Amino acid sequence: MSRTLNRTSARYLTRHPWQLVLALGGVGLGVAVAVAVALATESAQRAFKLSNDRLVGTATHQVVAGTAGLPDELYRRLRVDLGIRKSAPIVEGFARSEDAASGTLRIIGIDPLAESFRGDLGMVLGTDAYPLDAFLTEPGAVLAPEALGSVGDVVEATVDGRLIRLAVVGRVPGDGSALADTVVADIATAQELLELSGRLSRIDLQLDATDLGDRVQAELPSGARLVEAAARADTTVQMTAAFELNLRAMSLLAVLCGMFLIYNTMAFSVVQRRELFGALRAVGVTRREILRLVLAEAVAVGTVGTLLGLAGGIALASRLVRLVTRTINDLYFAVAVEQVALEPRVLAGAAALGILATLVSAIAPARQAAGVAPRVAMMRSAEDDSGWVNHPGLAGAGVLAGLAGFALATWRGGDLVAAFGGLLMVVLGASLLAPTVVRAVAKGGAALLGAIVGTPGRMAARALTVGLGRVSVAVAALALAVAVVVGVGVMVTSFRTTLIDWLGYTLQADLYVSPVSARGQSATLRLSNEQLSEIANLTGVDRLATIRTISVETSPEPTAVLAPSHAVEDRESYRLLEPSGNQAMEDAWMRFEGGEVLVSEPLAERRGVAVGDVITLPSPSGALELRVAGVYVSYASDRGEVMMRRSVYASLWRDPLISGLALHLADGATRDGVARQLREILQPLQVVVVSNSELRAQSLVIFDRTFRITAVLQTLVTLVAAFGVFGAVLAQQLERAREYALLRLTGFTPGQLRALIGAQAGLMSVASIALALPVGWVLAWLMIHVINKRSFGWTLQMTVPPGVLGQAAAVALVAALLAAIYPAVRATIAPPGAALREE
Amino acid sequence: MTRGLVLAVLAALAGCSAPSGPVPSQAADLAEVLGGESDGFARALEPREFGFPRDHGSHPDYRTEWWYFTGHLSGADDEAFGFQFTLFRSGLPRRTPGQGGGWRARDLWMGHFAVGDFRRGDFWPFERFARGALGLAGASETGFDAWLENWRIVAEDTEQADSPVVLSAEAGDVALRLRLVPERPPVLQGVNGLSQKGAEPGSASYYYSMPRWRAAGSVRVPAGDFEVSGTAWLDREWSTSVLEPGQAGWDWFSLQLDDGSDLMLYAMRRDDGTTDEYSSGTYVAADGTVQPLQRDDFSIEPRGTWTTDDGIEYPAAWTLRVPGAGLELEVAPRIPNQEMRLSFRYWEGAVVATGSLGGMSVGGRGFVELTGYGRPD
Repeated sequence: MSRTLNRTSARYLTRHPWQLVLALGGVGLGVAVAVAVALATESAQRAFKLSNDRLVGTATHQVVAGTAGLPDELYRRLRVDLGIRKSAPIVEGFARSEDAASGTLRIIGIDPLAESFRGDLGMVLGTDAYPLDAFLTEPGAVLAPEALGSVGDVVEATVDGRLIRLAVVGRVPGDGSALADTVVADIATAQELLELSGRLSRIDLQLDATDLGDRVQAELPSGARLVEAAARADTTVQMTAAFELNLRAMSLLAVLCGMFLIYNTMAFSVVQRRELFGALRAVGVTRREILRLVLAEAVAVGTVGTLLGLAGGIALASRLVRLVTRTINDLYFAVAVEQVALEPRVLAGAAALGILATLVSAIAPARQAAGVAPRVAMMRSAEDDSGWVNHPGLAGAGVLAGLAGFALATWRGGDLVAAFGGLLMVVLGASLLAPTVVRAVAKGGAALLGAIVGTPGRMAARALTVGLGRVSVAVAALALAVAVVVGVGVMVTSFRTTLIDWLGYTLQADLYVSPVSARGQSATLRLSNEQLSEIANLTGVDRLATIRTISVETSPEPTAVLAPSHAVEDRESYRLLEPSGNQAMEDAWMRFEGGEVLVSEPLAERRGVAVGDVITLPSPSGALELRVAGVYVSYASDRGEVMMRRSVYASLWRDPLISGLALHLADGATRDGVARQLREILQPLQVVVVSNSELRAQSLVIFDRTFRITAVLQTLVTLVAAFGVFGAVLAQQLERAREYALLRLTGFTPGQLRALIGAQAGLMSVASIALALPVGWVLAWLMIHVINKRSFGWTLQMTVPPGVLGQAAAVALVAALLAAIYPAVRATIAPPGAALREE
Repeated sequence: MTRGLVLAVLAALAGCSAPSGPVPSQAADLAEVLGGESDGFARALEPREFGFPRDHGSHPDYRTEWWYFTGHLSGADDEAFGFQFTLFRSGLPRRTPGQGGGWRARDLWMGHFAVGDFRRGDFWPFERFARGALGLAGASETGFDAWLENWRIVAEDTEQADSPVVLSAEAGDVALRLRLVPERPPVLQGVNGLSQKGAEPGSASYYYSMPRWRAAGSVRVPAGDFEVSGTAWLDREWSTSVLEPGQAGWDWFSLQLDDGSDLMLYAMRRDDGTTDEYSSGTYVAADGTVQPLQRDDFSIEPRGTWTTDDGIEYPAAWTLRVPGAGLELEVAPRIPNQEMRLSFRYWEGAVVATGSLGGMSVGGRGFVELTGYGRPD
């Protein structure tokens, strides 16, 4: 019996290829987006972990000290005096190179003779791949991965504006992919290349005895920290957690859209087979068997769709991974991904998600099929009998779910996951309002369309309520997608507007000078005092300000320390969030002058620091207890910044270096003229000299680049939803083919018929937009005030751009109308008789 | 004494050759390594004037140099130990000095340290590497002071030619701290200290030994800490290129005999199994008279073998004859396994000797080094 039943399924599905395609597409697209996002983010993480593992090996601890680094001598003390022989000094830095796939080259300096305890970077003594004498003695000698250069090649790169030449003398031992865009040099060479003479970036230790940690601690100079290697790697990866969670949440929306689509398809197939199911029931097939039959169909469709989705997702992932890595490199840490890692765990998870989502979506239609009474065999009705849409409590439940979701998302004690959970509940709650909205639109539409296009318009409006169940689901799917478009669009625009505003008042100097360097945050502009005064005295230069930016090791993540030379004079460039009130702000600046510090909003937000609190920072002068005078607005980094007076910084860090210059020009001076003179003075240093407007533009380019992945996901979600609407409209129209044929026979012209079908699609999109706009606004509000705040710690000014709303509405309308084209054409060209004879 | 295999290690470390793995095959590599380009180093071409304590110190003009202590120690309750402590210096190609800071090194250093616990039949070899920079490893150029991290040999008075020397080394559960007092002045090996190793001029080293030191101090092994005393032998050698093609490895002997005489012999083995004509030795009679020995002045006859668990076969007993001195000795290891199974493998072990000298029976003890016995099967 079951075999016969299965055959009926197979025959049904093959006779209705459109439905099959829609169902497969729904599962496939959802799975593809989810798997692509998961693979791309996992690959980026994996690449980081792999290279970290290669570099850290069996070391259990690291001594670190941020930009300031550690003295060489500390290594000798730990290794020889304390006898920690499982110790290795590391010098690390970044260079810009066109030969690097990511544009950024990581230079790792090691002592090969100290590496043997951890083996991996360790030596393959004197082999061809690792000629030790050249490695140790040739100027600029490096081991490089295959992709970067062969033995004998010279790779050019720039470190803080200086051109360096790397002579490839061998290959990085082992599998090169873990260390893409990484060269390994002898520690002496690395110190020369990076101008870090006498300084180590870190010391890796394998501490076997438990008491060793305390003895190491006792040796450390102030500013240095002993950290567990694994914890440090985790912290680094954690920096991207919020970013990745945001991506994943969006990919789940695609799955959700896909589920609506599956539901629709399955529900339609059940409706179409009511007769068949009735007949089957009449000949003794049990309800349970019918239920199982429909679920089995769902599993079959789900499996095939999932497989298609996996294949598509893998293909998509290789494109997404570039966007993801780009963003991670722009915002967090250097990582180079050579290829997408097809993690079985991710693939299995996505497969389970796909099949499960299909099954869940199919439960309601399957129960409906099982509920068909035997006698229905005698009746012919295409009516949608999904009773749930008429449940009186539905809208109330939706409102309640939405409110509960909103409450969950904004609950102060909640974290980012709670926020996304709440957001999801808002979306689902809103979906439950779809039938109500559709009914309202149908009501309004009947009057309006009736007036405009006459009978077909009124019929179209009525048709919506006749197939209310599936129409509602299609409308909900489209509304969801449009809401995402609106929400994300509003959020990104708000962010961008806020950023433009911030850049506007922050960048008040006319020219900015920084070295050409790989990673902006701890670049060093090496100028002599003579060069500095020469620049200050250039004709056309009114005032010269410098800034020093370094990174210091704090727990759980590093903190940036900013020391502008003229913070107080340039206070227009900083906007204090706290304290508020003119007098209080004046006081804050006074205290800043007196040695207190200002912290950026992300730091205050994410570490719970408020005005008057004391924060602790390690420094070469010991652990500093710094009182917070104020909190200022900054979107420079979601990691925290601490700003202090230059004189305070210079005395605490004993660091005379600068990271960049800001020049205010005299009236009448031309930027180009001054820039040309600057470059001459700074030769042969390669520097970037930009005007404030160029810097603003560049910042926005980076901003747009980091949000490109968001835009891509937004498009994908919309695509899934458009597919859903297309399916819903198509299914509905195909179902009504007989009705349309009758209409034709009763005198409907093809034009009227087309108007009817088009009006239906139009009304559906209107309903979607009506639902999507408020929901999208709520989504945007949550993303701005809850999710961004929790993810990154900053406050954005919400701006609702009409363009985004119009665009969202257009998407909905176009998707629905496109979906109506095929049924419209088909209904009008098919000879009415044929449609009547069908089935 | 020619510590060629170990030399090959450092030479390979310094990349003079490219052996295709962590255990270089010996013969070809050795010749290539030790006969290679001189890279701006001086070569041992003719005899030189030795002066002490200056020559206890480093000779950075030459590529390769070592400080090589071996000895026998005994403690209460029949405790008996052997030790080897060696620091090898290998000069990197003398390129233009780098601009960089303290990490730029001219030399790489390798240390070998081994203690044999003969009562328990245990043997613990260790190795270390470091660059001659930042005080991690180095040597004085004027007196007896050389170190690799916390392994060190340093004269109590570095300005004194015959100052006692303090040796300290530790690794894991094993440690050695000795005060060594010289009992005999330096003996110049070869021709006035120029030890020819091949036909080519410059295929030679400068080589002196201090064959008798009185040792006292403490040794730590897993079985415990012991106060010990005994005797030690020092070899000092520096060169730039030594070996020539066709030389496969060598068997080297240093023996202190009960009558007060000392014997150093080495047989350089050729690829074809014959003994190279540049094999040589020195007999120092009890009264201090030095008698150089050429290849035909002595014979070394292996009497047995010892095979490692992975199949390398080393000779394990010998009959030595020096007819000119009326000397015939049976030499046997204290324990069979004294293999230095490190990055580079060789056998370096304490031995005892019994036999006759001028018709009188004589005993003695010393060390044997066996190199070039191949890779495991």
